[in-house]
Amino acid sequence: MELFDHLLYGLQNLAGVTPVLVVIAGVVVGILGGAMPGISPSMAVALLLPFTFGMSASMGIVMLCAIYLAANYGGSITAVMINTPGTPSAVVTAFDGYPLTRKGQAGTGLGVSLIASVVGGFVGIVILILFSGPLARLALKFWPAEYFALAVLGLSTIASLGGGRWLESFVAVLLGLLLNTIGLDPLSGVSRFTFDIVRLYDGFSFIPVLIGLFALSEVFSCIESGEVNAPSVVPDKDKSPWPSVRDYLKLKYAMLRAGIIGTVIGIFPGAGGTIASFIAYDVEKRVSNDPDSFGKGTPFGVAAAEASNSASVGGALVPLLTLGIPGSSSAAVLLGALMIHELQPGPELFTKHPEIVYTLFSSLFVANIFILILGLLGARLWIRTALIPKRALYPMILAFSFIGSFAVRSSMFDVGVCLAFGVIGWILTRYDVPVSPVVLGMILGTMIEQNLRTTIMMGGPGLFFSRPLSLALLTLAFASVLVPYLRGRKSPSSRKGAGGAA
Amino acid sequence: MKRTVLWLSVVAILVSSACAALAAYPEKPIHVVNYVGPGGLMDVTSRKFVSVAKKFTDATFVIENKEGAGGLVGMQAVLEQPADGYTVFAATTSNIAKVLTSKKNVDEYVWGFEWIAMLMKDPECLIAAEKAPVNSWESLVKDAKEKNGAQLWTGPAAGGNDHLIAMKVWDKAGIVGKWIPYKSGPEAMMALLSGQGVVYVGNPADVGGREGFKIIAVARGERMKQFPDVPTFAELGVKGLEDEVMWRGFAVRKGTPEEAIVWWETLLKKVVADPEWRGFLEKDGIDVVDYGRKEFTEQIKKDLEDSTTYLRKYGLIK
Repeated sequence: MELFDHLLYGLQNLAGVTPVLVVIAGVVVGILGGAMPGISPSMAVALLLPFTFGMSASMGIVMLCAIYLAANYGGSITAVMINTPGTPSAVVTAFDGYPLTRKGQAGTGLGVSLIASVVGGFVGIVILILFSGPLARLALKFWPAEYFALAVLGLSTIASLGGGRWLESFVAVLLGLLLNTIGLDPLSGVSRFTFDIVRLYDGFSFIPVLIGLFALSEVFSCIESGEVNAPSVVPDKDKSPWPSVRDYLKLKYAMLRAGIIGTVIGIFPGAGGTIASFIAYDVEKRVSNDPDSFGKGTPFGVAAAEASNSASVGGALVPLLTLGIPGSSSAAVLLGALMIHELQPGPELFTKHPEIVYTLFSSLFVANIFILILGLLGARLWIRTALIPKRALYPMILAFSFIGSFAVRSSMFDVGVCLAFGVIGWILTRYDVPVSPVVLGMILGTMIEQNLRTTIMMGGPGLFFSRPLSLALLTLAFASVLVPYLRGRKSPSSRKGAGGAA
Repeated sequence: MKRTVLWLSVVAILVSSACAALAAYPEKPIHVVNYVGPGGLMDVTSRKFVSVAKKFTDATFVIENKEGAGGLVGMQAVLEQPADGYTVFAATTSNIAKVLTSKKNVDEYVWGFEWIAMLMKDPECLIAAEKAPVNSWESLVKDAKEKNGAQLWTGPAAGGNDHLIAMKVWDKAGIVGKWIPYKSGPEAMMALLSGQGVVYVGNPADVGGREGFKIIAVARGERMKQFPDVPTFAELGVKGLEDEVMWRGFAVRKGTPEEAIVWWETLLKKVVADPEWRGFLEKDGIDVVDYGRKEFTEQIKKDLEDSTTYLRKYGLIK
């Protein structure tokens, strides 16, 4: 009961015009920042950080948390409408969100992504408030061996992502992993394939690659196929484009499952919302009665992706508040914000400044409610994107892709990267190689390499098998690749869509 | 004739405007380039410095973040700007080590700068997990001898300042350890807490607000006021580690007008005398300094020399 008193106290701090305006401002900036390709949640939080210097510590943190939470939702809007994930964690949302739009059901895609984000957000916050202690102890059980095993488990999701096209998916994921070897060696600092270009020292910047692979390649394919001149899909005028409450209720377990997965994976520094969404999507596909509908526009896919990445926000705050260690790059910016206000993040915050902690908790609830309200209002606007003729829309996508790529590091080099990956993505799509495994390979590559080598430095490869958690995760990963493969061999007739590559 | 007059007037205008510019540094916004993202350690420092500096000057400061390649991206960005004192690089010790380990040209990336203001010395220290079996210098040495080279030390990037200090400690104390690099300092501390390594190399501020850590030795001449129980290396019988620090400071491109440099040196003295600035740093056990060009350049020379010696000794560079 004491907890509720604290939360109520926190809510009282939020009563008043200024705090509510601060939350609304945070949510608006977050949604717009998230929707803009090129501005990831951590960048949205970072951009607004200087504005919080003049505020009180608790208001500043409230605003930044609202941005963080809202940006994770915002990324889904462009993913659903124009197949351009606004944030890395929305990549998975595009798998089913965009096919829904193409089918003329943009309302379903937008509605489900909003509701799933809000539900996932709530799941994450509740778990954060109730179980941050035990979760922090779990995070400490993770050694590099476990991080490696978790990344391998993430990689194993390609087995289901590729939709039966084993070889193509495998090639794509290898491409992603190989791209990751460009840049300074994460352990020894030796420069690899950088050709002495300082911009390449950290490898390819992830966001320009993402925009190129998804948005630009789509534009190129469209130009090639002449689809640009095709009329846009106009939704049925007589029917409401939005899903009914009953439609949402059907997704409740999917959202809950994904929310829990998202929160738990969110607690591990370096894993975060993107990996969480891949794994949640994979799990959802496996438990589904109709796995074939995934990738072709099922609300279950959108719900899993969005619920998990929004839930990861709560997860990422667990190590920040309990150990003083940020669980994600956005949480790292929050840590900086606390330090600027001369507050030490970590367990001391609970004892020395409980008012800040509980205001933060309450503000997450409030922010989530405003995401729902503003999201519902905004969705009426976003859905009109579907009505824009492609001839007008695609040049705009092209322009925004370049602006977004430039925005990441104010660098023309990244614009070139975006263009190059646009061409690569177009070629891959043309030969029926899925692009999402490339992204997965790039996200997980560094994590796999660093943790593999660290483990071997620490005590040799035996550690992967002598540590129970690591062994369990690796077995799970192995099984999740092997089972569908064996099943696929038993019934070769169920294999589809491999024709293009042959 | 007409043409000559025209040229003369052009020259006159240029000269006078140049004089005006010189006479009134800073007459336009000064860009401070951080090599870390917003919220990073140096970013927090530059923003605090600017906010304190505003008490003493009307100059406008713009804080920029140019992340990447351990500071090389930011350094390059400053070197590409004109040497007029309006673009300032916010540097830390790590940048010097980065130039060496990535085999960049020292004359360009280090001596292409004029090192104008060193703000602080953050003493380097060894941190252990409070409840672990190794939680003092004596137990650390004993454990290192037993493990004979397999004792694990955690910290950020290989070849960085913390790694360098580790190598120095091994050398001076006659023990051997193994450096396990993590993506960031906080992740390395978490690794320490979960028992992956026995000791973390960092700064006193790292233990602030976090539970379960203990500083076991500090590389300083005397004990710190804020942590009176922490022994220095000298007290523990290890000589040659009296002044190992992570510094933070500002640099401008070589060739910047003298006037701008003097302006910065003067501003630094004023900021350093300010209680808000001192309080901000001293609570974390950091020594506030006001080194100008001469002393800062000496520090850089020492860093370069030390880094080269130890990186070579332990085989990180040839």
